[in-house]
Amino acid sequence: MVSYDRMRVGGGGAKPMLLPLGDRALLVRFGTHLGEDVNLRAITATRCLISADLDGVEEVSPTLVSVLIRYDPQKIGFFALSNAVRLALCEPDITALASNKSIDLEVVYGGAEGPDLDFVAAQCGLSATAFIKAHNQAQLRVLATGFAPGFVYCGLHVPELQIARRTSLHAKVPPGSIIFAAGQTAITATHVPTGWHVIGRTKFRNFAVSKNPPIKLQAGDIVSFSGGQKQ
Amino acid sequence: MTSETVTNGVMTKIEFIHAGPLVSVQDKGRFGALSYGVAASGPMDMDAYDRAGDLLNDVGRPAGNSVVECATGRHAFRVKGTPIVAAFCGGSFNLKINNVSQNWERAHQLVDGDSVEIVPGAKGNYATIRFDREIDVPQVIGSCATNSIAHIGGYKGRSLKSGDKLALVACSPSEGAVGDRGRGVKMPSLEALAEENAQPEPIRFIWGLHADLFPLHIRKLFISEEFAISPLLDRMGVRLVDKAKVFQDRQNLSLVSDAVVPGDIQIIGDGTPVVLMRDHQPTGGYPRIGTLISSDISTFAQLRPGTRVRFSPVTIDKAHGILDDIFAKHAAKRAR
Repeated sequence: MVSYDRMRVGGGGAKPMLLPLGDRALLVRFGTHLGEDVNLRAITATRCLISADLDGVEEVSPTLVSVLIRYDPQKIGFFALSNAVRLALCEPDITALASNKSIDLEVVYGGAEGPDLDFVAAQCGLSATAFIKAHNQAQLRVLATGFAPGFVYCGLHVPELQIARRTSLHAKVPPGSIIFAAGQTAITATHVPTGWHVIGRTKFRNFAVSKNPPIKLQAGDIVSFSGGQKQ
Repeated sequence: MTSETVTNGVMTKIEFIHAGPLVSVQDKGRFGALSYGVAASGPMDMDAYDRAGDLLNDVGRPAGNSVVECATGRHAFRVKGTPIVAAFCGGSFNLKINNVSQNWERAHQLVDGDSVEIVPGAKGNYATIRFDREIDVPQVIGSCATNSIAHIGGYKGRSLKSGDKLALVACSPSEGAVGDRGRGVKMPSLEALAEENAQPEPIRFIWGLHADLFPLHIRKLFISEEFAISPLLDRMGVRLVDKAKVFQDRQNLSLVSDAVVPGDIQIIGDGTPVVLMRDHQPTGGYPRIGTLISSDISTFAQLRPGTRVRFSPVTIDKAHGILDDIFAKHAAKRAR
């Protein structure tokens, strides 16, 4: 289980960069490269900032390494907001941080559902069966959402399971595709193009427009996979 | 009026006899859904959206939040049912009602059987039609805006096709005409628009998330050289023609995916600058040199392919000052 502590947000590590993104958004950036610590700080900061409910803030949305804050410039300026954000991150409300959902997703690996499974296993120096076993054992965190409706990035895998993206694009993969690259496993919820390896499919759908909220998994939630190849 | 038009409080329908490209239902936008993977969408020309609201209010009518937006092409629809008032705004399109030319940037009453035709005029890519009614489509995650990449909102999550019908229902008279705060006071005459066309102002931007990754000489060229609008444009983005080859020597950077906002100017893998628009992907991994200020996104959206464009950097304080001025002028107009 992931633990949060005060130091991760405010005190520990380098101070985040606060950058304007146009005239209606401020980006709190914890790093320019994805790593466990940078991502965890971004997720924790998001929860702090949502709970802080700052004046003039219209939306708080996390990415892999940063937090996007959309604000109303008629209500607050960039510098006043920067100060408020720094203050909120210095005194994080730990009670707002502790709610992580855990979910295990049933996956059919390989075959038509996961055409790149054999290639991926070979890249990792494993048989398909051994790769599936290793993938099933991984306990991953939802690193970020937001790329496409309901799409989640999960990670990070151990170094033995980190491989590069494909050299060519899959023009469209179906909802529920389990895709794998760059030390991560991602789950699609809509049809998307991808340069990642497609290793399997789940019935789980992380996007339903009729629900509020329309997604079940959020950044910080814990995900594991179970299942094997179709018999 | 047929019996079909009087069900569920629906008194009027508009039927698209001919739907040209990118006819979509929009409202102010679907805000708050970025973490679900859904950008806000909303009007490409927010100023036109607000002007249309003002025009309806000027003739004593409420303004619906929902609008029909059409890209350049021929569009025709027929009105069935009780009379409505529609305001036509954005760029300069040629409007005909029952085959008679009518003024653009104006509110017109439409009655049962009227046929309306819109074809491109002197300028602009997007026409906005706002009614003294609400368009009867479902709210999806708090908005009826059509999102063309997520395929949600609007009419069945898609652009309208010929033969599609939109039902119009009463809207609350208390609804404000103003969309995005601080917008929508300009009401340019056609002469002013022609003037603008002859002497295009630079599009203003704030240096972006990755500006520091571009060498100084490229940043200097970006603000001194001229670009052109390419024919590859839609609600997601506008590709620019980089005739001066400002970005030909760029390095292909491998960046972690980060948040994207409307107006972001990103340089894609082959060196093409692309300005991301209302239906942008919520996150992206290409380097972004700048972001258009929000008051210039509408102006930029209306620039037609071939139009030459320059970019001029402003500070964030300057950008907020521009929004304050627009807001103050608008408040004064409301008070009159």
